[in-house]
Amino acid sequence: MQRSAPPKTAVLDPTTISRAKLGDIDAFTAIVEAYHPRCMRFARAMLRNIDDAEDMVQEGFVRVYRALPRYEERQRFESWLFQILGNVCRTANTVHRREVSRRIEDDGALERVASHDEPSRAFDHEWGEAVRKALAEVPDYNREIFLLHYIEGFGYDEIERMTGVKQSALKMRVKRASDLLRSLLAKEANT
Amino acid sequence: MSSDDNDLIVNRAIDELRRLPPLDRDAVDRVARAAAAARVSPADGEALMERRRMRSMRIWSAVALASAAAVAGFVAGELRPSRMQTPQTAGTPVSGKSAMTLRPVANHPSEIVAIPQPFMFEHKSARRVAIVGDFNNWDPKANAMVRDASGLWSTILPIMPGRHLFGFIVDDSVFTLDPRKPKARDPDLGSEGSVLMVGRP
Repeated sequence: MQRSAPPKTAVLDPTTISRAKLGDIDAFTAIVEAYHPRCMRFARAMLRNIDDAEDMVQEGFVRVYRALPRYEERQRFESWLFQILGNVCRTANTVHRREVSRRIEDDGALERVASHDEPSRAFDHEWGEAVRKALAEVPDYNREIFLLHYIEGFGYDEIERMTGVKQSALKMRVKRASDLLRSLLAKEANT
Repeated sequence: MSSDDNDLIVNRAIDELRRLPPLDRDAVDRVARAAAAARVSPADGEALMERRRMRSMRIWSAVALASAAAVAGFVAGELRPSRMQTPQTAGTPVSGKSAMTLRPVANHPSEIVAIPQPFMFEHKSARRVAIVGDFNNWDPKANAMVRDASGLWSTILPIMPGRHLFGFIVDDSVFTLDPRKPKARDPDLGSEGSVLMVGRP
């Protein structure tokens, strides 16, 4: 499937990251401004509880700030940022699953569980809601790679470096995510 | 439905998912404040090091106590009369070997101390080199290294026993691993660090 490249993030001054590495909070704020919308988009699509998105994005940026001295500039900054944010989101999803599981065991509150996977309120039209609902059906490990590749524009070679998963497996995950989205959205697209 | 139609559906979904939320400046400010608060001041660093020291002490105390118990069990086994021994030999005074007293090793947290560790890093053209690791909260300003005439940077730091990750910051910007040490991936951040083992478990 051929796709146009996703829109680029605002270009940062090359010295901004170097200054942030030395603890310059203004430089770090410039980085946050440049990447915050993309990080929010990624976190909302990744998280099972989208109400956590802002907190998880904040957590990701704080981890980035604390780890900046270890950032190796031969790695692209944004792939490092999304690697950390992906870890944060995966952990949050694991915690969320455990909580959901406990609630089911505790009081069988299935209705409340279902409401956590409701489509985002941010998408106010039907197609947007249908897409988000379908995306929530895609398993986390396929969804993350689909988002990194098609939405955030990372190449398979870069995702391989970020995740340690071989390119052939990454392509299979993206294909499975696409197939599931297609089948779930086909009916919606025809209406 | 043709394959083109199928791709059209996924492409439409991708276009939908690519819609960026507007920049929320209040959220950016909150992130910047949280990052600034997470920045470690020297005082915070001391508190953090103290907590890490205490945690390390607890672990090493448990190891030391377990070792002492194992030694005590072994010696007690040596002292116990053998089933094959005659009543006469069982009643004889213990030999010099078995009469020795046990001396437990580091069985109290206060006995576990940091061990001086030399760090060396060769970089002739570097203007500054600092060592960073979990023992100084990855603070590049905490421990600068000293260069000798041959271009060898070195320092000695007291490090608590245990496993540590570290690296070198060259000229305030380039994070470099120690080529002489094994490396391990930080499970949280994905980046690699050199592994330092201090003391013996």
